[in-house]
Amino acid sequence: MFYRWSDLDRAFPTYDDLRKQVFHLFNEIDSQQATAGSLPVSVFDSGAALVLAADVPGLTEKDIQVSLTQDVLTIQGERRLAPLEGYTAHRQERSTLKFSRSFALPFKADVERSTAVVKDGVLTLTLARVPEAQPRTIPVNAA
Amino acid sequence: MKTETSLNKAQPAAQKRRVVSPAVDIHESREAFLLVADLPGVVKEDLNIHLDRGELSFEGLRRPRPHGSLVSGENGEFVFRRVFTLPGGIDADKIQAELSAGVLRLTLPKAQALKPRTITVQSA
Repeated sequence: MFYRWSDLDRAFPTYDDLRKQVFHLFNEIDSQQATAGSLPVSVFDSGAALVLAADVPGLTEKDIQVSLTQDVLTIQGERRLAPLEGYTAHRQERSTLKFSRSFALPFKADVERSTAVVKDGVLTLTLARVPEAQPRTIPVNAA
Repeated sequence: MKTETSLNKAQPAAQKRRVVSPAVDIHESREAFLLVADLPGVVKEDLNIHLDRGELSFEGLRRPRPHGSLVSGENGEFVFRRVFTLPGGIDADKIQAELSAGVLRLTLPKAQALKPRTITVQSA
């Protein structure tokens, strides 16, 4: 009986460590999501192209860089909020944005025919599929 | 400030939409209050600003443009909505709204009575 109690005593700190480690792990995941969340992106497939729409409020074409290496697409951008002359802040929920997000593309994009447009605070990337990657129908013939 | 748009007419559909609270900054100067809100994807026609008995509200519908079938969505179709109670002494007729690059800037000028003024002391 005594043995068991001391075993338990020793077990508690171990549990505690484990619990802390698990919590730490969850916190890390949460913070990663927070960074990803600063650039919400939707992906659409139109057959001939893959379309990405990202929310970039207040950013213009000068603030965004899009790069494509092999089949990895990276969107980078930054928004600085200049302090307003003669104003005092009462509430500040908007923050300076700095994001970098990469996507592994399921195909090789045709850079020449791909476009990036920023309008109304939304960045729209149209990544054209190379002809070989486009879906095609194979006619079924009767034997 | 009368920006009645199609948003009101399409009420039954709008009720089903997810409502998101946008990030807002509020600044104050001697002359005015400035409200800045992030509304990515909202165009002028889909933005509705209301002032009623000292309550300022705005509602912006964002419609994702159809680009084909959705693969993954983090920023779909929803309504940005936010309501504020204004302090007294706002000159309601002079409120200005400007929407550019998905950012709304509302300038709310203070009424003459609220502006700070210096009183000159006169010698007797």
